[in-house]
Formats: sequence, C-alpha cells, structure tokens
Amino acid sequence: MNDKLSLNIWKIFFGIISISLLLTLPWWSSGYVVMMVIRIMYFGMLTMSLAFLAGELGWVSLMQAAFFGIAGYFVAILQTRYSLPFPIPPLIGIAMATVAAALFGLLVIRTRGIYFLMLTLVLGQLVWALASQWASVTRGDTGIHEVYAPMLFGISTAESKTAFYFFNLIFFVGSIIFLAALKRSPFGLMLRGIRDSESRMRMLGYSVGLLRYCAFIFAAFVAALGGVFFVYFTGLINPHSVSLTTNVDTLLAGILGGINSLGGAILGTGILKMLDVWLSGVTKRYLLFMGIMFMLVIMFAPQGIVGTAKKRLETKRKKTA
Amino acid sequence: MMSRKKIFTLVGVFALTMGWLSPVHAVDEIRIGHIGPTTGWATIFGQQVLNGIKLALAERDYKFRGIPIKLFTEDTKADVEVMRTKLDSLKNRDKVHLIIGPSLGHEGMAAVDWAARNPDVPILVGYSAPEDMTMRKATYSLIRPGWTGSQVIFHFGKFCAKDLGYKKVIIVGQDYSYPWDQAAGFIRGFLENGGEKVLRIWHPVEAVDFSSIMAKLMGLSKEYDAVLNNSGGAQVVAFFKQWYQFGLDKVYPQILGQANVPIVPMLAELGDLALGVYSSLHYYDGNPSPANQKFRESYKKAFGEYPSVIAVQGYDAMHVAFKAMEAIDGKVDDPKKFINAIRNVRMSAEESPRGPFYFDKYGNPVQNIYIKKVVKKNGNLMNIVVKTYKNVSQFGPYADMAEKYMAQPATTRNYPPGEKEAYFREIEKYFGKEYVENLKKNNGWVD
Repeated sequence: MNDKLSLNIWKIFFGIISISLLLTLPWWSSGYVVMMVIRIMYFGMLTMSLAFLAGELGWVSLMQAAFFGIAGYFVAILQTRYSLPFPIPPLIGIAMATVAAALFGLLVIRTRGIYFLMLTLVLGQLVWALASQWASVTRGDTGIHEVYAPMLFGISTAESKTAFYFFNLIFFVGSIIFLAALKRSPFGLMLRGIRDSESRMRMLGYSVGLLRYCAFIFAAFVAALGGVFFVYFTGLINPHSVSLTTNVDTLLAGILGGINSLGGAILGTGILKMLDVWLSGVTKRYLLFMGIMFMLVIMFAPQGIVGTAKKRLETKRKKTA
Repeated sequence: MMSRKKIFTLVGVFALTMGWLSPVHAVDEIRIGHIGPTTGWATIFGQQVLNGIKLALAERDYKFRGIPIKLFTEDTKADVEVMRTKLDSLKNRDKVHLIIGPSLGHEGMAAVDWAARNPDVPILVGYSAPEDMTMRKATYSLIRPGWTGSQVIFHFGKFCAKDLGYKKVIIVGQDYSYPWDQAAGFIRGFLENGGEKVLRIWHPVEAVDFSSIMAKLMGLSKEYDAVLNNSGGAQVVAFFKQWYQFGLDKVYPQILGQANVPIVPMLAELGDLALGVYSSLHYYDGNPSPANQKFRESYKKAFGEYPSVIAVQGYDAMHVAFKAMEAIDGKVDDPKKFINAIRNVRMSAEESPRGPFYFDKYGNPVQNIYIKKVVKKNGNLMNIVVKTYKNVSQFGPYADMAEKYMAQPATTRNYPPGEKEAYFREIEKYFGKEYVENLKKNNGWVD
C-alpha cells in the first residue's frame, strides 16, 4: 500500500514537471527545439494509435499511417482546391478517416496475429497506391503543397511556431488522456480480456467483434488527428506519408519505446525522430548506428525502453517487499 | 544584487548598440548546405550532386578569396517530411547562406513550397526536374541550374518524327509522375511534327517481369514503328534484357529511351545492350569540350568513376554560386543581393561541362539540348551527340506562349491525348486555332 502511494507521488511529481516543461518550452528553448517537439507530437499520435491496438488487443497494425494520411489528404484537398474555411477541412478529414476505419474494420476484426498484420499491410498499401495513382485528385507523387495552418484567435499558426506548438499540444495531450481513459475504462478491460483469452470473453457473452471494431476506430481517430497536424505543419502531403516506410517507421518507434504503453510510444517516437536528425548531421553512416541500436533494444530490452524499465521496477519492488 | 543585474543589463544594451552601430563585417565563413537523398534507393541522385559540389569546392581549396567555405550535408531519405525538417535545420541551426539540392521530383516540389515560406535562403536545385518548380509554383529565391523533364524531351519527339521518320510510337514506362511528364513532352514534340499516334503502356514502379508487355509489343509491331523505354534503374535493365530475350530487337529498329535511360551509371549496368539507344538531355558524357574533359578526368581521379549528368548538376550549381559571389564581392549574408546575382549568372561553354546556359525569368536554364546515341569508343560505352538544339528554354517551342502553356492542366498518365486528332483539338483550346493551322501548314515547328 505504502509502496503504491509513493509510486503515485512519483507519478504526480513527474507529471507536474513534464507539464510545466512542455508549457514553457517555447520560452526556454530555440525555435529548432520547438520544431522537433512538434514533429514528435504528431508522429507520437500516430505511434500511440498503433501502441493502443498493440497493447490492448495484441494487434500489430501496418496501416495506421493510412488514417493519418487520409485525414491529411482531405485537409489538403479541401483547403487548396475548394478553399473551405478552417474548421471544416480538418473536421471532414478526421470524419473521413474514421469512416475509412469503419469500412476497413469490417474486414480486419475477424483476424488476429500474423493475419491481422498481413491484412493491414495490404489495406495500407491499397491506400498508398490510391494516393500515388489517382493523380487527378491526389496529384500523384508530386503531392499537394501550399497547405497553410489556420488562424486561431487572430494568431496565424502558420507563421508563429509557438502558436502552432500550443495548438498541437492541446490535441496531443487530449489524445493521451483519451487513450489513457479508454485503457482504464471497462471498455479497455474488456479489450485486454479479449487479448488474453478471446474464447473466454466470448463465452462470458461479450461481443468480441464489436469491441474490437470500436477499438480499431478509436485508434484510427487518434492517427487521423495526428495527420491533420502533420499536414498543417509540413504544409504538404504526398504518398510517402501513407507508404509502408512510414508504417514501418511507426512500428519501429513503438518497438523502441515499448509497444504496449502510450508513454513508450511517445518516447520511442521522440528518440527515433531526434536521432534521425541529429545523427545524420554527425555521420553519413547514421542508419548503421540506428540499426545497431535497434538490435541492442531487441536483444536486451524486447519490451522496449518503457516496458523494460517497468519490469525492472516491479522486480525491484518485489525483492524489497 | 539588484545593481549587479542592472550592470548586466547595461552591458548587454551597450554591446547590442555597438554591434548595431559598428560597420558591417565581411563574412568570415561561407556556409553552404547540401540536401538530397544520400541513403536508400535514391542514393545516387543525392550522392553524385554532393560529389559534384565537393569537386568544385576542391578546385578552389574550399575557399573564396581567402574566406573559408564550410559544407554541411543532410540526408532526406527521399522523404519530404524529413527534408523539410532538415531544411529548417540547415537554416536555423547551421545558418547556411545557400542551399544546394534536393534531387528528386517530389522533393523538389516540397522544396519550392519551403522556399516560398523562407524567401531569405537562396536555393540552387540539384537534380529535381518537375517543371512546376520553375513554372506555376516558381518562387524568387529558388533557382534551378538543372533541367525540367519536358525541356529535354520536346525536341526528341521532333527528332523521332522528322529525322527518324517514325509515325507511331509506343512508350513503356513506370506509372508515376516523372515518366508521365517525359511522355507528355515527347508526345508534344512528336505529334506536332508529323507523328500520328503514341500509345502509353504503364507498369507498376517495381515491376521486373515484362513478359506480358513483351508479348503485347510483339503483337503491336505491325502497327507501330518504335518503342520508347520510359523507366529508371533496375526496371530499365530488366526491360532491355527481356527485349533481347524475346527477340524484339529483330522486330523494331532500335529502342528509344527517356532522358535518364542511358546516363553513365546505367551504361555500366546495361553494357552492350545499350548500344544504339537514342535519347536526349542537356548534357552528354561524350562531349569533347575542354570543360567536360577536365571535369570527367578530375571527377574520376577524386571518386574513382566517371561522372554522370547528376554530378554535373552539383558541379555547375557550385560554379554558379561562385560566379554570383564574385559579382557581389562575397557578401553572401545579404540574401537578396545573392539571389539577384545568382539569377544573373551566365555560364559559358568554357565554364560548364554541359555547354553555355543562362536563367530565364522563372529561374530555369536556357540551354542546349542534345540528341544522343550510345556508341562504343575505345572499348567504353558513351553517348555521342547526333543533333544539337541550341538555347532551348523550359517551355521548349512554346517560349513565347509561356502563359498559355502554363494554363494547361497538369500531365497525368493519359494527358495530353496520344492521338493526333484528339491532341490537336486539345491544344487548340489553349494555343489557339492559328497555332494549330500553322503547325499543319509547316508540318511542324519552324526552327
């Protein structure tokens, strides 16, 4: 009991510190750091959607970037071609990505394990092919450019990185809370029940298919949210953002940080995205170093950084108890 | 304690005012950033540009009038999101005065978008070829000492129709935007100069088994005169091998290639299969000019292989930058002046391995386009020139109708139409009746 209390105090302590650091970031760091954190936030949302499915259902998806991209493409097309005013393109974008998840969900809810992976791979590639081949709508490989982030309360988030940072931060924290709440809710408990023993849950009278279906749509929703910020921040979208490379990068970020937890997803994304930029400035062989790092993680911390740290803490506590 | 704070503030204010008042210092270091894919499938496109830059810098010992030049290089991994981040890194972290790159088509389009938002950093584009970078989306700070996909192939269409006398051609290519643009440029030159029909066959980008396409080509050989290969990399090698395996070389006169098909690295891969291939580009490796010979030999000495047009791009970009620096006495910290100076650079045949060029008002070179043929000389495969079209702009034959040209829709896998009647109906909408009638009267473009 005492142990748990002290753990909670630590959690609250870290929570307060990280929140205050995040809230004051633009004032004590450079624009460059703010940019990196923004990137970590939108890619983090993508990784979280993958980690949610992996952690709660044991589903490893290779198509979360598709929802990320669908939302992004809708924002880009509606804004550049039809000049719709601000809240409409992202709202439609997220709605369409969710609808797409509802459609694809019908196909994937019956599968598990490697079959789920394969099916999401196929569907993800389908979206990629559409993005690259349907040139009259998506502009093919050239992609869509000149997407500008909106004006909010009279401040242009396209010009002010600080404004964009807070805009993104609100939704980033929002998605963490959303997914964390889902995990804690009876719904999350049911999902974990399915993950551990599907037949038992079925026998207890739960609608396994429906629960999975909902989880899939919720995850897609978070990915779509990330996609909106991606397209607003980079100002462009092209088929690469829905490609297998992006999906695999997301999976790698998840594995690195710990695919079963939201914190791991964010940490993994952070490390990966920062190393990518920082190491590549130092050496041209940076991919080699990243490969070695992955190998070490898989060998010595197969649960990812956060997963392994948790495990260590638990064994330590057991020993002291 | 308060007084110490005050002293600090005073000193700070004093230092700032002094900095403000003191005369502008000359630049003590010139920082140049290179951006392009230097890992992954597209490595060659980034790496050779980088090598070209290094070669040009080494010629001057990494110095400009005694001021040291520092080169920063960033990898895009062929991903535009990564590229954008690294452009920001070059600008904000490394504070570069000039960026050279990127090299791929989609990267180029994203770079224009970035340039429009960051007009205070001059960009000299590497190998990227989409025409819109210097047409519909052109932005003042971005100058391309390279080429557009269509620019180099308009006249190849004309050459095939007039000099080779073909009436109907099949284009087989990878299904994405660069080959679409190549096909579009070819169709314009071909149909407007007496060609009758162009059939486009698209295959998936990664396809390496062309047996069904070969069978189709065999069947079509009665109707069509020639085949143009419109792919890149491994797909070209696979296509050429199967071309001979299926005996199509006995049915069609010879194979034609899009601009990138017989470039130097490809010649090494293709070997004798490439013999006789016709194509067109703004550079040919067999150019006997002293500038090109010097460039080839010193590149070989530095990097152990002969350079291709990709390396020429980096080499020329750096020399354009040098000429601009001369014009502004090395004051590269004034981006406006620097950009203006770059736009006014004229390169002569003695300075560039490709021949003379200068920039049009959109920032794309007006340059010679060479129709080339692959031959074997002293045991080495190389491209020699068959015909030269001088001072071709990115608008090709439409140089005085630039606005009308840009009003046309973007090219897709089947736009513009490949049949003469439909094509003429289509261009009449944009270029007017008179233009089409003149074409018919003169049986093509008037030189």
